[in-house]
Amino acid sequence: MDLLHNIALGFSVAGTPFNLLLAFVGVFLGTVIGVLPGIGPMTGVALLIPICFGLPPSSAIILMAGIYYGAMYGGSTTSILVNTPGESSSVVTCIDGHEMAKQGRAGPALAAAAIGSFVAGTFATIMLMAFGPLLAQVALKFGPPEFFALMVMGLTVVTSLAGRSMLKAVFSTLFGLAIAMVGIDLQSGVQRFTFGNIQFMDGIEFLVVAIGIFALTEVFINIAEMKNPKEVSMEKIKGGLWLTKEDWKRFWPSSIRGTLSGFFVGGIAGAGAAVASFVSYGIEKRFSKHRKELGTGAIEGVTGPESANNAAAGGSLIYLLCLGIPGSGTTAIMLGALMMFGLQPGPLLFTQQPAFVWGLIASMYIGNIMLLVLNLPLVGMWVKLLKVPEYLLTLFILIFSFLGVYTMNNSVQDLVLMVIFGIVGYGMKRADVPAAPIILGMVLGKQMEEKFRQSMVISDGSFGIFFSRPIAVVFLFIAFLSITNPYWKPAINGAKRLLSKPKAA
Amino acid sequence: MARKVAKREERIASVVMTTFAAAYLIGTFLFIPRAMIKQQVGPSAFPTAVGVIMLLVSVLYLIQQFRGIGKEANEKRAAIIGAEEKVETKADLKTMGIVLAIMFAYAFLFDILGYAITTFLAFFIGTIVLNRKHLVRDAIIAFVASFGLYFVFSLVLRVQLPAGPLSLLGF
Repeated sequence: MDLLHNIALGFSVAGTPFNLLLAFVGVFLGTVIGVLPGIGPMTGVALLIPICFGLPPSSAIILMAGIYYGAMYGGSTTSILVNTPGESSSVVTCIDGHEMAKQGRAGPALAAAAIGSFVAGTFATIMLMAFGPLLAQVALKFGPPEFFALMVMGLTVVTSLAGRSMLKAVFSTLFGLAIAMVGIDLQSGVQRFTFGNIQFMDGIEFLVVAIGIFALTEVFINIAEMKNPKEVSMEKIKGGLWLTKEDWKRFWPSSIRGTLSGFFVGGIAGAGAAVASFVSYGIEKRFSKHRKELGTGAIEGVTGPESANNAAAGGSLIYLLCLGIPGSGTTAIMLGALMMFGLQPGPLLFTQQPAFVWGLIASMYIGNIMLLVLNLPLVGMWVKLLKVPEYLLTLFILIFSFLGVYTMNNSVQDLVLMVIFGIVGYGMKRADVPAAPIILGMVLGKQMEEKFRQSMVISDGSFGIFFSRPIAVVFLFIAFLSITNPYWKPAINGAKRLLSKPKAA
Repeated sequence: MARKVAKREERIASVVMTTFAAAYLIGTFLFIPRAMIKQQVGPSAFPTAVGVIMLLVSVLYLIQQFRGIGKEANEKRAAIIGAEEKVETKADLKTMGIVLAIMFAYAFLFDILGYAITTFLAFFIGTIVLNRKHLVRDAIIAFVASFGLYFVFSLVLRVQLPAGPLSLLGF
């Protein structure tokens, strides 16, 4: 049994006291980030990457995965208690979660969210164990054209779901690709956009951009609005934390529906955690036995979306590990971090670094359990975090940003660049241009170009190579579909009209 | 009112984006020398392609903004994918400017005064700018945070941080 052997290997890596401690620290810090207003998972992971620098790669990724999970979970706590979602994927949780809290059922709502996340996380982990190796096997047969097509697909699918306007999202992705082009071109030795600056020769570090565009932008946003403070009213947790028998009965169906829909829609189809939670709420509204209560504090409105967003997060980790394609902004940051450690996620990782991959998988499992154990009893403590004054929090984000960026290269130039990207990020926020695609473009840019050029070498300069390989064609077709999705409806309607006319006549 | 501001900001953004895309595209011809070796695809091909598409997209966006089309479709999209709320309040530009100045000063003094001292100053001046009600408490927080982080990172995690004048004291 290969699988059992691998699992045993994984637990032997993740089970060392040091790595267990790191998983705990990761989940703990992640939850803190998730709970704190204004720091989303992306900002949080980017800010905490520098802590990982001194660690061996397998320990570092365990820490990062813990932060990721914790942050995803922590966001739901504030949704329920304060009605302010920590990130976009827990917006829906507010509807019924906060309603429940108002009715004095904050405890069960929090517990339902935690257990739902746990169920979904476990499911995603098991799927990764079962299908990850198979997917990696398939991907091993990919040549440069397939990889190029796959990256194009990854970028377009995520881009097509980012932000209000598709055009702005596409621009944002391209902006990321454009930044990735700075530095020495490894295939020709030519300097691109370096302007003779020595530090630009290695390219612009993605963390400089990520921290600038997420963390410092957050600082600017907080400061810009500090004069008109938001009213925060917090619901108290009254009564027991645990679910009643009736709650349990209603918990399972919605959690399972949420997990499955989240995993397949958000994870496998690449729609992301936020869409997954919306889809799940829609499903509950249609199929739940208690659909009429939704919106007035039904437990299904918490378990469904919370399961869905966690399942989606787990699903996108599968792509990250097996194919090296990030399915969301946060996983893009993790990919960038892994690359800084000299690891290239993708099919080769599975075969060449089994201890690393299975160690991570095992730690995801352990992390899920820790999350459950940590969150329920400590809810009271998390709530206190919300009382940290906003200006102090903002200043802490500021000094952590500087610390993180400086420790990478000991370079003041990086600090200045970071501040500049912070200004750019704030401008983008005001103009409602989504920032996550920039990171995706940056992280994938160099590789994408490399695969493209390799393909061109194989085909001796003919674009035909992308259309003569079936897998590449499928990927490019999906990419095309996702980027054109705003135009489907009018096109289909137009086609229908064209087809129905002869019939009517 | 807020709507109008947002509209103007988006117009400005579309101009900035188009300008950037055009500059980048021109840059691919100016700042990428030709490779010495012959390749099917040279070093400037990919950036040029990126630049062309970027220019195309930003021009489309520019047209959208100045002719006011595509708003409704975008709102519908936003509802489906759960896009974040737009920021439409008026920003406190004065405070932001001061904090920006603090950031630049923080960056430039980082190597000279060392991590602990610059961080303390940045944090403490930050609290003076943002909220003056608890200066003593905040000064203590700033001190503990800056020197605490310095010691944890440089002594425990062995990450190099500039010591600045502190090195004279033997730290």
